[in-house]
Order: sequence, then structure tokens, then C-alpha cells
Amino acid sequence: MKYCDKCKIKIDTKKTYCPLCQQTLSGEISDDLIEKYPEYISINRKVYPVTKRIIMFVTIVSMIILLVINFATYNGRLWSLIPIGSIFYFWILVSVGIFSKANIAFRLATLTSLLIALLVLIDEASLSEGWSYNYLMPILLTVCNLAISVIILIKRIDYRDYILYLLTIVIFSIIPIVLVFFKVITIIWPSLVAFGLAISILLFIIFFFPKSIKDEIKKRFHA
Amino acid sequence: MNKESKHDTWFRLDNSGKIFPEVSSHRETNVFRVAISLTEKIDKDLLQLSVNTILSRYPMFKVKLKKGLFWSYFDYNSKPFIVEELKHYVCGEINPKKNNGYLFRVMYRNADIIIEMFHSLADGAGVIMLLKALTYEYLLLTGKDVKPDNLISTKNQRPSIEEYEDANSKFYNRKNKKHVPEKRAYRIKGSPLSEDLTGLISGTMSTKEMIDLSRNNDMTITEYFAALMMHIIYVTQIQYRGHISSNQKPVKIFVPVNLRKHFPSNTLRNFSNFVKTDLVMNQDDISFEYLKSLVKEQFKKGMTKSELIRKMSENVAFEKNVFLRFTPYFLKKYALKIGYNMLGVKLNTMSLTNIGKVDFPESMEPYVKDVTAAVYSGRYNTLNCSIISYKDRLKITFTRSIVETTIEREFFRHFTNLAIDVEVESNYVEEY
Repeated sequence: MKYCDKCKIKIDTKKTYCPLCQQTLSGEISDDLIEKYPEYISINRKVYPVTKRIIMFVTIVSMIILLVINFATYNGRLWSLIPIGSIFYFWILVSVGIFSKANIAFRLATLTSLLIALLVLIDEASLSEGWSYNYLMPILLTVCNLAISVIILIKRIDYRDYILYLLTIVIFSIIPIVLVFFKVITIIWPSLVAFGLAISILLFIIFFFPKSIKDEIKKRFHA
Repeated sequence: MNKESKHDTWFRLDNSGKIFPEVSSHRETNVFRVAISLTEKIDKDLLQLSVNTILSRYPMFKVKLKKGLFWSYFDYNSKPFIVEELKHYVCGEINPKKNNGYLFRVMYRNADIIIEMFHSLADGAGVIMLLKALTYEYLLLTGKDVKPDNLISTKNQRPSIEEYEDANSKFYNRKNKKHVPEKRAYRIKGSPLSEDLTGLISGTMSTKEMIDLSRNNDMTITEYFAALMMHIIYVTQIQYRGHISSNQKPVKIFVPVNLRKHFPSNTLRNFSNFVKTDLVMNQDDISFEYLKSLVKEQFKKGMTKSELIRKMSENVAFEKNVFLRFTPYFLKKYALKIGYNMLGVKLNTMSLTNIGKVDFPESMEPYVKDVTAAVYSGRYNTLNCSIISYKDRLKITFTRSIVETTIEREFFRHFTNLAIDVEVESNYVEEY
């Protein structure tokens, strides 16, 4: 036990100074003393690796250059949005698709929705031919619906976490059929396929997992 | 419990718990710690086993935080909980990503078991119950002959709904919820410590001597400490500097009140409120005697049932506001942040938590040497203090995010000058 004669306190430590007044302590170190608190080891704050910083810098600068060229030679079309959108999608694909540890249904739902958004953007920024909503939107939604359903059927154990994302995509699949009514979509069969599959999946969920859906909705939507 | 029902387990956050996830960061962690010193070196594997037992007994801690459309909630966490060795950092941020989603930590070092808890899950009194149950299970596993004596909930009891109810919304009164606006409080000044460092100094004194001392002044221990804290902040930081503009702000010591003692509830969740001392100290001649009578009076006023219910209802009414309730979560975050700025941390100079006396069954007492409590300190409350007592050991722990230790020094010297023995522990780093 050591002693500080200025503060008149006792302290059991191997350190030399009093924690209160920084004066040298008197007295002997007790036998087999283990400090109550561990040594301070600085937790360095994360610094991005150089490669990552270089890639980020090049990405942002190239986006700026694209925008500048686009506006300097403006001819009525925002073509620079195509490469910029693609670069963004690439980064989301890397972070959500490859490095994220979130569940697979969430990743599939996010990537599909964003891919559709990107394709619509490309379509609109180029010739506005409508191939993105006529074919790709319903087909991608169909594929995503099928994929999540198959994953849920194979990994039955934690379907509760997945079912909400499946529901989201199922609801999205109704959008093409709505667009048909607004005459945005002119080729009808892909939208019909997506809609039919979505309704079938919805019915399957209602018939076979009624309680889990109710619970999940109660959890997520309690106010 | 079968697998099916475990996955159905989820909990709403309690009234005060709702705010912490939004206002916490690596600087304002809203984490607090309780620790227990046993007589023998801790066996890591046995500790792990006893934590697993405790988690199945208290399902409200086996959770992860998830976001819903309107509110976040605690969902059943199927990942394993892992005990760790104690690191230097005191009450550091609990990052669910690095912690398998859990919002608390169990650590060990030498003969100590340490629990650090995020404030959303429970308050001090709740964690003390958890710590006692954990210690009991651990001692049982090491082969000690210990009995719970109805002081400890063991694994033989079933979890009850009462343990995780939100008692705030049970006792709140719609008619008594007036919001009283408050001024920002004085902030203790000092040079900031590096971000990954929290200084900790604790002093142990005799409980009996402290009770006698405060009785002689006709006060409770908490009142005495609060008055002394006011006095020391005044002497070290404000006296003779009353003309400086920042010293015009009131010094407010935030003292949590355990509402379980005032209202019948056994919840482990947050169920506490506060009283505050409040005084603008820009005069040159404020005496300790005056502060004592002031603190007594302010505590008496703040501790009346109707005032406690008012403060509770003020918070609950905020949560029950129809507009807020049906705002989607990602917008609600900002409303909660604004609310916290109105009611929250900037309104306090420091917090002084008295967890009180911790009782163990007689059969466990020979194995328990000491208990410690500590709270985080951040950018606004640069110095915080917590008090806990066990048998004749009353332990005051200061945590600080500034380099200076003047207030702690004067605080402990006040007692040593009264010829009261103080034994100090610190996690200090000799070079900053």
C-alpha cells in the first residue's frame, strides 16, 4: 500500500505518482499486486488504406470531369448520368453485394431495386425507347422474387428475417401492372408474368406462414 | 422455451430507452458499468457458462436492436454472447456489430467481473439485479455453497412480464405533464483527454462514517455529496471569476432517483427520474453551509410525488404524442434529438448517481470483496460521479473526459481533512 502525504490517501499501485495531485507517493508496493485496471493501449481510429483513398479520389474526380464535359457541350441529353450512375451502382454492388454481412434477401432486394433504377436512368438518358420498363423491370422483379422464395424454401430456419424483403419485392412487382394502366408500358406479357408470380407468392405466404407474417408486421409496425 | 416461441420474443423499448440509440455516439456513449470483486481469480469458461445461464433466465437481455417503421425494438438475438477480458477503456461505445448485436458487455480481470450496459436496456438498479444473479450463478458453478435467500432471481424462476414492463407508462398522469423550460447548465472546463481515454478515480470510505457525517448535518448521503460537489465546483472553477460570461450559467447536479422506491414496480428496465440542484454561482461569497440548506430544500421540492410524476409524464407525453408516434422512424430520429436537447444532457453540469446499498445473501458475503459503479463521461458532462456501497465500503467513482483532477482532489481532501480514511483506485496514465 502506498500513501500520498499531501492528499492523505492510501493507494495500492505500482505507479509512482498520486493520481490526484501528481506528487510522488511514499510507501512500498504490496506483494503480488495486480493493478486493478489494465494498461492504456491507444485504440487508433481507423484510417482508410491508401488504395481505397486513391480509388475514391479518382472516382469523385472523374464524376466531376464527366459533369463538366456534359454541361460544356450540352445538347439536350444528360448522358453523363449513365457513367455516373454506373459508378455508383458499382460501389453499391461491392459494398452491399460482396462485403456486407446483412442477410441475403435484403441484399438481393436492394441490389435488384437499384439495378432497375439504374436501367431506367440509362434508358431515359439515352434514347428513351422504353426497353427498361417494358422488359427489364418485370423480368428482374420476377427473377428476384423467385430467387428469394427459393432461398427461403431451402433455408427454412430463419425465414422470418427474409419474409419482409420478399413482401417488399412482391409489392414492387405490382408497379409494372399499374404502369400498364397508365400506358407507360406497351409490351404487356412480362408485366403479367411478374404480377402473376407475385400474387402466387403472396397467396403462398398467406396460406402457409400466416402467424409469422402477422408477428413480423406487428413488430415492425408497432407505434 | 421451444425454438418457435424464442423467435417470437421481442420487446418494445421503454420510454427513456427510446431516446438513447439516437443520441449516442463514440463521444456520448450512454454506457455505464458495474463491477464486483470476488476473492479468487475469475475462470473465464465458468463465467461464460454462467452468462449463458443468465441470458436464458433474462430473455430481455438476449436481444439486438432493430429498426421498425415507427419505433426501433429489441428482437431475439440468436448469436452467442462472448465474455471478454477487461480493456483499458471505461464505458466505451458498445458497437453491436463487434458484439454479435448485444447491447451489453461482460468482462473479467483478475478477480473482478465487470458488466457494461447500454442505457436503453436497463438502468443502474436493473443492472445490479443482473450482476447479483450472475455472481450467484458463477459462485454456484465454482462449487461454492451459496443460497439465493430470495434476494436473487435464479435460473429456477421463470422470467416474469413484470421484469420487463415499461413502468413509466404505467404510472404516468395525463393531467400532470407541464413542461418546465430549463436553462443550459454550466460546463466543467478542462483540457480534453484523447477520445479513447476516460479517466477513472475512485475512493473507498467507511459507510458508517459517511452516514454519521451526513446525519450530523441533518442530510442524506446523496444530499451531502451533491452539496459538497456544488461547493467544490464553485471553489475550483467559479469563485472570484463571477464576471466571466460562461459563469452566469447555473450549476446543476443531476441526481437520478430510483422510482422503484417510490412506486411499486420490479422492472429491470429504465425506471428512474431525477432531481437537480440549480444555482447561478456568480457571487464571491457562497458558503458551504448555504449550499447545504439550498440542496436540502431543492431535493425536498423535487422529490415530491407530484413532481416526480410530472417529470415522468412530461417524457411519456412526448412519446405518446400522436404526431410523433406516426412519424416514420427515419424522421423521428431528428425529433428525438431535438427533444433530447430540450430535456437532455446539456442541461446538466454533472451527474451524481447513487446506486445505494447492495445486499447479498449471507452465504455469498464471504466471497464478495467489493462493488464498483461508473458512468460514462462525454463532451458535455466532462465529469461524472457514481456512488455504491457494500457493507462498510462506500465507493465513489469519478469518471472524467478531461485531464485535470482538481475536483476529485479537493473532493477527497475534504474527507481526509475530516480525518476520514480514503483508499484510492485509478486507471491513470502517467503521461497524457
